[in-house]
Amino acid sequence: MKARLKTRSIVAAVSAASVALIGFVAVPAQAAARSTVVVIESNTFTSINNLTPDTNIVINGDVAYLTGMGLFHYDDKLNIVNNPTLGSYRVSKNKTGDFEVTYTIAPGRVWSDGAPITAADLLLFHVLSSAAYNKAAGLGDPNSDTPVFNSGLYGAVYDQHVVGTPTLSADNMSITVKYDAAIPDYALNGLGLTVPVHALEELAAGKKSLGTAAENSAATAKFISDVNSKNTAALKLMGPVFTTGYNATTIDSSTNPLLLVNNGAYMIKSVDSNAITMVASPTYNSGPALSGINTVVIKQGIADGSPSAQAIANGDADVYQGQPTADAVAQLKAIKTATVTTTSSLAFEHIELRVASSGTDTYSGPFAMSGGQKAADLRKAFLLAYPRQDIVDKLLKPVNPGTVVLGSVINLPGNPQYEHTAALNGMAVFNAGTQSSRTAAALKLVQKWYPSAGKTTPVAINLLWGSPGNTRRTSEAALIIAAEAAVGFKVTAPATKGWGGKLTNTGYDAHFFIFDQTANPQDAQACGIFQSTGGSNYTGINDPAIDKACVALQSKTLPSSTVTRLRVQIEQAAAKDAFFLGIFQNPEVTAFNSQLANVVAAPLSPSLFWNFWTWHF
Amino acid sequence: MLAYIGRRISALLVILLGSTFLVYVAQGYSGDPSEALRGSTDPHVKAQLASLIRNLNLNVPPPARYFLWLKGVLGVFVGHFNLGLTRDRNPVSTYILAAVPVTIRLILLSTLLAILIGIGFGIISALRQYSRFDYALTFFAFLMYSLPIFWVAVLLKAYLAISFNNFLLNGSIAPAWIIFASFFSGVFWAAVISGTRQKVIAVFGIAAASTAVFLTLLSVTKWFTHPGLGPIMMLALGIGFAFAVTFVSTGLSNKAALRSSLTVVGIGFLLYFPVEYLLKKYANLLTLFIMAIVTITIAIATSYFFAKVDRRAVARTSLITSVIAGLLFIIDKLMKTWVPYINTDAIHQRPIPTIGQINDLLPAGNFWFSFLDSVLHLVLPTIALILISMAGYIRYSRGTMLEVLNQDYIRTARAKGLSERTVIMRHAFRNTLIPITTIVVVDIAGIIGGAIITERVFGWRGMGTLFITAIDTSDLNLLMGVSLIVSTLAVLANLVADLLYSALDPRIRVVGKK
Repeated sequence: MKARLKTRSIVAAVSAASVALIGFVAVPAQAAARSTVVVIESNTFTSINNLTPDTNIVINGDVAYLTGMGLFHYDDKLNIVNNPTLGSYRVSKNKTGDFEVTYTIAPGRVWSDGAPITAADLLLFHVLSSAAYNKAAGLGDPNSDTPVFNSGLYGAVYDQHVVGTPTLSADNMSITVKYDAAIPDYALNGLGLTVPVHALEELAAGKKSLGTAAENSAATAKFISDVNSKNTAALKLMGPVFTTGYNATTIDSSTNPLLLVNNGAYMIKSVDSNAITMVASPTYNSGPALSGINTVVIKQGIADGSPSAQAIANGDADVYQGQPTADAVAQLKAIKTATVTTTSSLAFEHIELRVASSGTDTYSGPFAMSGGQKAADLRKAFLLAYPRQDIVDKLLKPVNPGTVVLGSVINLPGNPQYEHTAALNGMAVFNAGTQSSRTAAALKLVQKWYPSAGKTTPVAINLLWGSPGNTRRTSEAALIIAAEAAVGFKVTAPATKGWGGKLTNTGYDAHFFIFDQTANPQDAQACGIFQSTGGSNYTGINDPAIDKACVALQSKTLPSSTVTRLRVQIEQAAAKDAFFLGIFQNPEVTAFNSQLANVVAAPLSPSLFWNFWTWHF
Repeated sequence: MLAYIGRRISALLVILLGSTFLVYVAQGYSGDPSEALRGSTDPHVKAQLASLIRNLNLNVPPPARYFLWLKGVLGVFVGHFNLGLTRDRNPVSTYILAAVPVTIRLILLSTLLAILIGIGFGIISALRQYSRFDYALTFFAFLMYSLPIFWVAVLLKAYLAISFNNFLLNGSIAPAWIIFASFFSGVFWAAVISGTRQKVIAVFGIAAASTAVFLTLLSVTKWFTHPGLGPIMMLALGIGFAFAVTFVSTGLSNKAALRSSLTVVGIGFLLYFPVEYLLKKYANLLTLFIMAIVTITIAIATSYFFAKVDRRAVARTSLITSVIAGLLFIIDKLMKTWVPYINTDAIHQRPIPTIGQINDLLPAGNFWFSFLDSVLHLVLPTIALILISMAGYIRYSRGTMLEVLNQDYIRTARAKGLSERTVIMRHAFRNTLIPITTIVVVDIAGIIGGAIITERVFGWRGMGTLFITAIDTSDLNLLMGVSLIVSTLAVLANLVADLLYSALDPRIRVVGKK
């Protein structure tokens, strides 16, 4: 029995050990120069078309950028860089009440199915942006109802100022848009390429395969006549294709090839729940040539932080961009094969106080404009005591050592006008001296109305902020509660899931959250925040001086000195009423395989992809 | 019986109605789908907000909106089953249909292995109650049970992926590692086998020495750079497994079973080259399926030939042996695929991945590449899940086994003079499985719910990730789709467990009415 037991144990041990070792195998070899890049993203691809309100997410935008070339792009310094290879645009008439911009597509540019790109492809943009056109063509009123082409482009500058339908030249290679005013940023606000119109017509007709050259040009011609004659029936067939037809969570060889027609450097080869695979497009001639990366894979749904860092360390991925914690940044920096850069995006955290000076805002708390001098003093005291330096030092510098307390939100650090703006806009008073001197000044202001302040906390403030999952904001809230208690504010600031819908709730006196810019127009998108009618105005401010400056910034192209002066005026008004302070710019951490050249983060979407054609190993 | 099932199913419907209502209303009030738009300063934001409110009926309060959702779901009775659209206007069902297979792939294997290993260890531990092995295992079980999986995942990725891939670039084992592994192996086997001091030392010595020799051989012969089992190695392993399986299944004294198992291994050995050719020439799932059928047929035919009495036991033994032998063929094939696989541009010498389900850069159409790729992507999450979930099974089966061993019928079996193996395997083990079966059923239903954290840290896109995404983006329809399926399965699994219990244990009966 004993002897048998031993034999058995040896047999068992040896077999177990060998079974365990089966996986342990390898061979050394030399890798050739790679032509593939793997990028990690945290959200999930949902649609080829990122221009609807439902599909307007980062990853869809990145894929759209890699697979479609436009007339211009932003570089990492926020300059607009034109793409003359594809086409050009110029102001063709500039008279009072008659401002015209003409777009011309360069000859010979083709979509990936070989069909020529024409100015008719730009005409679609008008259908997607003009509420007046939609109403006239019987497609519904985008202002009150879900339009047939649910694009998410309605209601902005183009929609407000365009006159009639843009006119095509005889050869269809140029298109002229007429506006009722000399709108600024006509490049940003004007026409752009979206999806190929011949493919849209063919999809609407139920086709399942690429058309012949004759069919494609017939489809383009049909599109032009459908739009110009406001052919409601035909447009109603195309609308749903545009709105939901491009949605796809999986793409493979069975996907309708008409959906994949594009003019970009890459074509979508496949999408599965794991990743999006894009390969170089053989017919691409709409922009700069690629430098050696023939395949781009975006691994989707990868959690931020440690999983991403380890994926980079293991070579599972080459590029990662996100907003990790300080620990994850340290983990990234420890990877020998990776380069880590920290930059600031065009997104900033801010504190805003409810002032409710617009007639419709019924807020009547301690900060309301109706409270007169007392409310003004309390607002100023609250902002003076706000621990901005502490927040930056303790929470931001470990991630991005270069973070500064914001002196201006309209010209963010990095903008050549930042220093100038910060010196003149009146916000400096909230950054003068030390935090203790500011706190002392704040205490005096509160004691004017509540003599016991400092020993007690007589002013109750409800502060609204985001989800409990955000650890940085949780720490911010704790710092704020402590700092404001010292000057007599009893701040109640629980983490609030669903905070977005509560911004208009009159129960809150203040909010802190992040504002994210999507472009850099003449008003730096600040009018959305400060103008009385602004889409992001949650303070209820209604200041004629701000509104006047905004109207000026939005009505025509101005010399840069005037732009700066008007931008400063807006912030001066905000500083005078003490209801808004920038805190810090959002850090953006980019980590990439050190052998991959030319990866540079940019402050606006599509961030690091902005110069993808220059990437190479 | 039928009345009982009917009663349970109607209760199920009420539970589902209540739970979906609660989930819907709770998330409807706490989440805000417009959150991302609030922080945007884009001039289109107002129009986009209006569109969102229209699409998602956000102006209808959640309790009332629930009934809009319910209407879509109840459409199943009129042929319009509709779990609704997600926020990005894709059907919820497409997301769920894509996620379910991913989750099953991730969790089925690890759950099965955790059950097998856990029950095995639990029973050995019960048989060696209060021994060093028992204490060590109890410690290990509680340690693993208390570790958070995201941390285990970080460690596994650091050592079994990043460091191991680095090691593979060279491929030879450092002497320190050989010594450590040999020592560990010696301690492990000495603890498992236990006994007198003399025996413990002997077992330690033999296990440690054999491991050391084995690892050194592998390192020196460059087995790591040219992996493969080869016919001789496979024959040796096969014979080892034949003995081991026979010992556990019927006892080595059953000569018919031993001969039958050895014959199956012998037939496999003779077929080595033809099978290898087939696997290369016809590389697809159909071939594997046909080969599995052939293997089973051979095993049963052989056992029929050798066994004169007690055919079932012999057939069972040969069958298990033949399945193991079949797996050896697949492992051998995967090893042969290894060198070309890791030299592809997609893998670039780093075969163990830390994230994802598959490598999308691999050239398509190579069956064995995709097979190996799927296996390698499963390695880390499977180990993590096994480590975490094994503990429960170890403790549960240990406790049950100890209870069963104290029963009268075990004493009776021993008094009859049955061999210890028969008492343990036939009388104790089978009765231990009854209560374990019921927890296994509920666990398997839980599989569909996904392993939320595991999927997240390993970048798998199954039901768990879907659930998290739905909460993060306040996508109510998606959330409800996931929770409807998960809660239905949970309730059904409880019903099945109860029915199974009554089927397995004759003392328990289900009653239709009071």
